[in-house]
Amino acid sequence: MKPRIAGKPGAALLAIMLVASLAGRARADEILIAAAASLTDVLKEIGSIYRVGSKRKVNFTFGSSSMLARQIDEGAPADIFFSADLPQMDNLDKKGRLEPGTRKNLLSNTLVIVVPADSKLTLSSPKDLLKPEVKRIALAQPSSVPVGSYSSKYLADEGLWNQVKPKVIPVQDVRATLAAVESGNVEAGFVYKTDAAVSKKVTAVYEVPIHKGPQITYPIAIVKESKKKKAARHFLSFVVGPAAKERFKKHGFILLE
Amino acid sequence: MLILSLETWQITFFSIAVGLASTLLILPFGIAVAWLFARKEWPLKSMVETVVLLPLVMPPVSTGLILLKIFGRRSPVGQWLYDRGVEIVFNWKGVLIAMAVMSFPLLVRSVRTSFAEVNPRLEQIAATLGASGLRIFFVITVPLAFRGIVAGGLLAFSRALGEFGATILLAGNIPGRTQTLSLAIFNFVQLGKDREAYTLLAITVIIAFVFVWSSEWLLRSGKKY
Amino acid sequence: MLLRCRIPLANFAIDIDASFDAKVTSIFGPSGSGKSTILDAIAGLRNVAAGEIELNGRTLFSSARRVDLSPRARGIGYVPQEGALFPHLSVKKNILFGAERDEHSRSAKKITMDHVTDVLGLRTLLDRPVTKLSGGEAQRVALARAILSGPQLLLLDEPLAALDVGLKERILPYLGRVRDEFSIPMIYVTHNLTEVLTLADWVLMIRQGRLVAQGVPREVLRSMHARLQIFEEQIANVFTASFVESDPEAGRTKVRLESGQELFIPYLPQPPDRFLQIRISADDILVGTQRPEGISAANVVPGRVRTIELIDGEALITVSAGDEFYVRLTRSAVSRLGLAERTPVFLIMKTRSFRLL
Repeated sequence: MKPRIAGKPGAALLAIMLVASLAGRARADEILIAAAASLTDVLKEIGSIYRVGSKRKVNFTFGSSSMLARQIDEGAPADIFFSADLPQMDNLDKKGRLEPGTRKNLLSNTLVIVVPADSKLTLSSPKDLLKPEVKRIALAQPSSVPVGSYSSKYLADEGLWNQVKPKVIPVQDVRATLAAVESGNVEAGFVYKTDAAVSKKVTAVYEVPIHKGPQITYPIAIVKESKKKKAARHFLSFVVGPAAKERFKKHGFILLE
Repeated sequence: MLILSLETWQITFFSIAVGLASTLLILPFGIAVAWLFARKEWPLKSMVETVVLLPLVMPPVSTGLILLKIFGRRSPVGQWLYDRGVEIVFNWKGVLIAMAVMSFPLLVRSVRTSFAEVNPRLEQIAATLGASGLRIFFVITVPLAFRGIVAGGLLAFSRALGEFGATILLAGNIPGRTQTLSLAIFNFVQLGKDREAYTLLAITVIIAFVFVWSSEWLLRSGKKY
Repeated sequence: MLLRCRIPLANFAIDIDASFDAKVTSIFGPSGSGKSTILDAIAGLRNVAAGEIELNGRTLFSSARRVDLSPRARGIGYVPQEGALFPHLSVKKNILFGAERDEHSRSAKKITMDHVTDVLGLRTLLDRPVTKLSGGEAQRVALARAILSGPQLLLLDEPLAALDVGLKERILPYLGRVRDEFSIPMIYVTHNLTEVLTLADWVLMIRQGRLVAQGVPREVLRSMHARLQIFEEQIANVFTASFVESDPEAGRTKVRLESGQELFIPYLPQPPDRFLQIRISADDILVGTQRPEGISAANVVPGRVRTIELIDGEALITVSAGDEFYVRLTRSAVSRLGLAERTPVFLIMKTRSFRLL
């Protein structure tokens, strides 16, 4: 009686394990790219173009740059790191986790001021943020999130930070900034241009000129411990090639090389 | 409702499969630990209990970080596994482990309560009738606590399905390989793709509802011994 | 059987030293005197601080020799007060649960399922879920389960306490049959005198965890010491009486005490064995120095004061009137009547003040 009862879940477990392992098995030449969440859409597109062209599949894991750097630092088996943040890449570089000579600063982004799509406010320059109608400004946490620190630094350079600061509502990240603006709970917010392009409920009313704004850089590099460096190099050369560049531009990124 | 894409089906199936595997994996351990908690006294018991329940109160991300430290290639454990070709990080096995660790305390709590509700007198009398400890456990204790065990398993499964923080750190967020419903929802929210996020959310809610509801139903219905 | 054990409890300690060898030994005492705890200790379900427990020359527990057999190895069948049937198993599965006991802890006698179910009248109940049994049926199933495990000793913890009077009368014969059919020694815990007198051939009288008397039930229960132990608050007179005649019209029954003294008690039909236990509280007896007249009470018994014991405002006096009676009076009554040792008195007892045990 007992073995019969024990047998069923045992068999079920085995079957599930089998199915799950089939679903998740990595092929020998499939590389894994750890990429910042803000690159999800464009990289998925580039990944499928690459697949069609080269008959090779690539996988991505998306997350915040700091989390990905942490995982790679602990030896997670990523082949390429595509960060939205220079310091995270520098950090791994210093620890010797990157394959020398493979690092490139590939993309840049610009900051934009967004308002709700139905907003009646006229904002044509950052100075307009001082207007009394602008009561609250959403900003990703300046102390920890890159877009937040970029925005506050820019406002400081413009000599506006001290006056704007009381209006600032610090939020979790770019996505939370957009959500706050979309809902109309804040009158304005700072996000990346590429993010603003995704939402139909916000309007980008001012783009910070690239020479005035902070250096926003998306570096890419091959991870030193990668076991598939050849395949990784192959993909890297595709990412800097014309087809990929065209996709990046279409999504609003600025190409640095 | 809109017709679900292949990708959505894959995510749903993968989440349920790994969630079930995780639940079945922790079930024997959970039952054993719950029994030790409910029926035995030993030194430092309350400390061990606290440690087991810790993932319940710790932010999942910090649990994930600890798991990453343990199974990452830099740690002795991770290195040992790596040398034998076992990859946990950025792998479906990482999803399994994250789910198992995060849902284990819920299972233990639920099963422990149901063990505590079994009258110890019945176990004592079974012993005077010549039954071995093992026989008492399987013929008296487990059948009497059965509904609580099943309910605990369903609860653990629901928790596994909702797991996010520990999973993303240990297993990454790899579409088609480690992306669960929760991770996909997070990803879609991040990208402002609300429609896709809501579709997956609806699926999660339906699954979770069915399981939590059946767990509640099991607890309420049937004979109370 | 040797039973010598010390078990500290919250408000007192059990400290027993007894040796007995009887078919049915009764542990008798008021609720909360530690009776069930002693059974648990014998069965191995409770820690014993110090002592020795031996059964048929086999040591079950010995603090000196560091022996402590597990409940499983002791070979003792236990029928707890609540029955403790396994609620998820059928009657049949409950009864057969102990039938797989290892040979070495099993009694040599072979007992079959059919035999047990016949003796206890369980044949028609076998396929029922135990949750659908009456209290009396559940007790019989618990008993059958214990017997079929082939124990060398049966422990019964107030098996009748939870049952109403009618049921008790129907179960009692079953217990007698078990005693006679299976010849398994029994230890029977109760606070009911009738049960002791009906079933037991040896009694251990327990109070506050201590053994206050032991012996053949009728002898032990006759001693004053025992009677005082039985009823803490109400000091009562308990007599064994024989039936003389009954008159339903008059609403009374005449009985005769061992001394030959006849008394009227409330009407009852003739009991099967002619012997009965009657009881009257020491508070319900009037004392007169002259024979009273024109009163309703039917029992007026002459006697002499034997002892007077003064406790605070109360007086407990013993009166010899063939048998010995305890009477509790106020101190003022003693002085008003001028009672002293050897004072001749009349005891006045209402028919309806007598109770049957």
